[in-house]
Amino acid sequence: MEIKITTNHILKVLEILSWIIFIGLCIEAGGTVANTIITLFINPLGVGNFWEGADYLSSLFESDQGYFFIITLTMIIVAVLKAIMFYLIVKLFVDKKLNISQPFSMELRQFILNLAYLALGIGLFSHSGFEYSLWLTIQGHAKADLQSLHIAGADVWLFMAVILFVIVQIVKRGIEIQNENDLTV
Amino acid sequence: MPIIVNLDVMMAKRKMSLNELSEKVGLTLSNLSILKTGKAKAIRFSTLESICEVLNCQPGDILEYVD
Repeated sequence: MEIKITTNHILKVLEILSWIIFIGLCIEAGGTVANTIITLFINPLGVGNFWEGADYLSSLFESDQGYFFIITLTMIIVAVLKAIMFYLIVKLFVDKKLNISQPFSMELRQFILNLAYLALGIGLFSHSGFEYSLWLTIQGHAKADLQSLHIAGADVWLFMAVILFVIVQIVKRGIEIQNENDLTV
Repeated sequence: MPIIVNLDVMMAKRKMSLNELSEKVGLTLSNLSILKTGKAKAIRFSTLESICEVLNCQPGDILEYVD
């Protein structure tokens, strides 16, 4: 029996994946915010709850709370931006704004533009986190593992932002051609 | 738009209604309406040919350029 994979099947799988990633990112963002607040204002031993980055953040916290705050703030901003990005993707699926018969629309253009700006923001903040951790290393602190702090891959996010900005221009032209086609008798 | 569609003028001369023209040309009423009201961005040669055949006229009788 031949199984035919349609666009709708692929979109359904992507929707489920998007939900899983979105929930994971929400947990990550919420956890980072909660751990930061607990560590700074309630119990300094809360720094051990930072999953893989606990060792580095512990040493940073012991050295200077200001350094700790800046690094965790960067982590929080990046995590929240990622969560917002996948919230928009999930919202696109839930609101069923993707019309396969007439795919090029202003809503799609705005959606991709928003993703581009978010990717740019994630890239810039990740890069600033990297530069700051580099400065901390020069000051004598341990070398940060950006992967464990979830702020790695700034160049990849910036590349994605550029690609998305280009796609926005293509979609804009697609909208023009689609409108012209709709008014062609 | 500099191109004016004089479809209603030709339809009046041939005493043909929009419904009748739509049936004979094979175009939907909405598409004919888009053409008649000047909202169309483009017209296919096949459509123009059908309209001219049904209304027994030239393309210049339907399409007019004004400065």
